[in-house]
Amino acid sequence: MDMECDLLVIGGGMAGLVAGTLAAEAGLSTILLRKGQSATAYSSGAIDIIGYLPDASEPFSTPEEGLAAIAGLYPLHPYSIIGYVDGIKPEDVVDEIVGRTRDTITWLKEKLKDTIAPLSGDFKSNIFPITILGTTKPTCLVQKTMYSEDLQTREDSVLLFTGFSGNADFNPSVAAKTYLEDRIAIGEPPRKVGHCTLRVSPFGKPYNVSSVEIARHLDHERSIEDLATQLKPQVEQLGATHVAVPPVLGIKTAMDNKKKLEDQIGAEVFEMLGFPPSVPGLRLQLALEEMYRTNGGKMLVGHEATSYIKTEGRITKVSAKAPRREMNIEAKAFILSTGKYIGGGLSGDENGIRETVFGLMTVTDAYHSAGEIIPSRYTNRIAISPEGHPINSCGLTLDPHFRPINEDGVEWASNLYSAGAVLAGYDYSIEKSGLGVAAVSGFSAAKHAIDFIKEVA
Amino acid sequence: MNEDEAFEYVKNTLRKEKITPYHSHELEVVKSVERCINCGLCISHCPVVAAVGVDRFSGPRSIAVELSRSPPEFWSTADVVYLCTGCGTCREVCPKNVDIPEVVNLIRARIFEHRPDLVPKSLHVLREVLTEYYLAFEPWEDKEEKNESRDMRLERLGLPFVQDKILDKAEVLLYPGCQAEERAQEVREAAKVILDHFDVDYTLLDDMSCCGLPSRLMGDHETERVLAKQLKEKVKKLGIKTVVTTCAGCTSSLSDISYRNEWGVPAVHILEFLAEEIGLEKIDSATKGSTEFSDVHVTVHDPCHLIRHTSRQITDFALDILRQLPGVKVTESEANDSCCGGGGLVSYHSDDVAKAVVKENMEAIQKTSADRLVTPCPLCTAQIESNLFKTGSSVEVDDLTVFIAQRLPKKR
Ligand SMILES: Cc1cc2nc3c(=O)[nH]c(=O)nc-3n(C[C@H](O)[C@H](O)[C@H](O)COP(=O)(O)OP(=O)(O)OC[C@H]3O[C@@H](n4cnc5c(N)ncnc54)[C@H](O)[C@@H]3O)c2cc1C
Ligand code: SF4
Ligand code: SF4
Repeated sequence: MDMECDLLVIGGGMAGLVAGTLAAEAGLSTILLRKGQSATAYSSGAIDIIGYLPDASEPFSTPEEGLAAIAGLYPLHPYSIIGYVDGIKPEDVVDEIVGRTRDTITWLKEKLKDTIAPLSGDFKSNIFPITILGTTKPTCLVQKTMYSEDLQTREDSVLLFTGFSGNADFNPSVAAKTYLEDRIAIGEPPRKVGHCTLRVSPFGKPYNVSSVEIARHLDHERSIEDLATQLKPQVEQLGATHVAVPPVLGIKTAMDNKKKLEDQIGAEVFEMLGFPPSVPGLRLQLALEEMYRTNGGKMLVGHEATSYIKTEGRITKVSAKAPRREMNIEAKAFILSTGKYIGGGLSGDENGIRETVFGLMTVTDAYHSAGEIIPSRYTNRIAISPEGHPINSCGLTLDPHFRPINEDGVEWASNLYSAGAVLAGYDYSIEKSGLGVAAVSGFSAAKHAIDFIKEVA
Repeated sequence: MNEDEAFEYVKNTLRKEKITPYHSHELEVVKSVERCINCGLCISHCPVVAAVGVDRFSGPRSIAVELSRSPPEFWSTADVVYLCTGCGTCREVCPKNVDIPEVVNLIRARIFEHRPDLVPKSLHVLREVLTEYYLAFEPWEDKEEKNESRDMRLERLGLPFVQDKILDKAEVLLYPGCQAEERAQEVREAAKVILDHFDVDYTLLDDMSCCGLPSRLMGDHETERVLAKQLKEKVKKLGIKTVVTTCAGCTSSLSDISYRNEWGVPAVHILEFLAEEIGLEKIDSATKGSTEFSDVHVTVHDPCHLIRHTSRQITDFALDILRQLPGVKVTESEANDSCCGGGGLVSYHSDDVAKAVVKENMEAIQKTSADRLVTPCPLCTAQIESNLFKTGSSVEVDDLTVFIAQRLPKKR
């Protein structure tokens, strides 16, 4: 089986799907290979742009502030690369980065508007949604079902944490306690919270029910009404103005369900951020795939890029392997967006850290070769540590056109671009920048690839 | 005791402990389990979990991290491991390519060997049929009746009858598979119509025998081997260049055994053959003239064995072909690639689970408001057709091979 296209995207998470959509939208024939699902589907689904500087304890209140700081301190951060435009004046660099990021976010919001995961929030400020632990975390965009307009600003707000019996992911009383203590400490509303537990039995038994089962159950007709009936007296008893539920409001019908619940109980309902694998992560993944397809992209799910042919500094073909077929795909340009260790773009073993498709040069957070770094020596002793893990910052390093470079500092192939978590120079887990970097670098890499293809065509 | 004796001794103790060492061809599957990062993405996608809940079917992750890890106690998983439809969804979404459907086969094989009493009874019955007739269904006793049934089907579907071609040598072997050979005969006939129309040099087997997939799925390695060997001999004797089949299960199974047993010839689905060997242009010009059919609005079901066990590209071929057929409007269903519940031999013993799985498809098919569902597999056709019928739906179901053959002009 052989195929041809303008652009071949390898990897189907946030970075690859954003890049592919942009290319398909520009009229290029685009094929995207995806071997499995990974970090994007696994995430909490909140799109972080930039929350913290490494080592800092205070979050940025706006993405703009964060991007400016990154550009100043980390010149090789994927966000900073956006600023390397031919002939740009130094004072315009930050504007360029901020502008491109804002464009990406505006574009993404527009594209996801009519999917199962429409977004709330905007580039102007970071928001601080509540997690299922009762803590808050800075992020930029959340799905509309996860957004509360005025919980933390309205003086008389009263919040009811609602859990489900038999669903071990979320303990409403612990979350309520943690959250209230935090709010009291900073002296801001809500000043009253409560908690309750509802019963859902997707399969007739109120125990051992996972989040995704509840979500799927709520996709079915009439189950949300049943929930509203149980919830209403609890809301009235507490006088709640807001209801926080774990992220389970549905896979396909979450928006409708939120509205139905609100209409029936007379309070605002929103989902908290959950543990992986979370339902909003799944919704985001599905929505991005739909976005790519409706813009005309072709997707080959279950196909893994395994080898390539490179002639005269240019990649001409990539081979893809399905369970029982193999094919060669010829393209004018390629985007590598294979993610990190979960996605499989990078792999680490006793011989070092490798890029898995092309064997590209990998570097560390300090931009030394990571080819001989032993992963176990490149982690912190504490799992969740504010310093993160150096291994998270390993990956590929780019030229200003978003092309991976080799040891000499020049592009490895003239038509290979790269985006997303496979890149070096940032640790999403401490910066809170994962899906943002993926989207913005995907957008940027695609722009360069599109220009390249239009030029050679 | 010398080394060889020691080896034999250990092997014997293993046997006593009811442990079968992994065969070399199973090692890759076993090793894939080591890569599991316990992320749980697979559980969110498993259609059986979605249909009956983790409490009844603990799901793919549990197969990877628990059920696969206790060789002598494999038998204790019997209530769960026969409920997997082998749809391959978990393997496809798994970031680490853990080969869970094959782990299931491997566990079933151990149970089959050491605790046959725990294998669902209906599978033993199936095994008897397979070992007696080398087919997954009891063949028709009366050949005349079989032909009558065939002719009735052809008449109902408006398909011409093409004489069976059984040659000593040919380019292509048309392998209909058990379902199309014994039950859905119209599919076998339709494939003949298509190959005949495009003047393909093909032959059928003079003595059709099963590819061995059902034996593999129940864990009966012995019968699986016998069937695969038989088929290889038949294929070799014919000196053909390609095996063409109309069944999704046969496509993946034949691809697998032709590779493993070094047939040296590829096995493809008729859709691949049409798209790649015949070419879309030829199909286009052949079907242009057909005016016999009124406009029809169809939706498609993608068989697991094509999309997740072979390649998703094959159903893209299906869409390419459908979209160029005159008067055919295609609407994709939301659950086009969701398992129909007919796989993994589940319906043989736990029909309630199979039915719960196909429910998802039923609802999505109704939503498309299509008047017809087409699917390139006679087994999926049967599973979906009978379930749609039971829900009182007016949507009709056609095997895609039949649907295409109907639209070719009659050769005279
Ligand atoms: C547990 C967890 C929670 C997170 N939570 C958040 C959060 O709340 N907010 C946030 O902003 N970020 C979060 N992140 C970070 C964020 O999810 C990632 O940074 C981001 O999703 C990376 O996107 P990506 O497209 O680069 O890679 P991925 O989403 O990992 O996608 C990589 C893709 O490449 C494919 N692939 C790999 N190799 C091949 C190959 N050879 N052939 C074909 N396909 C291939 C994979 O199958 C996959 O589709 C979280 C990450 C994790 C792990
Ligand atoms: S998706 Fe794969 S890695 Fe994740 S739990 Fe399932 S089998 Fe393990
Ligand atoms: S093969 Fe299908 S039914 Fe079996 S565990 Fe995997 S997803 Fe579930």
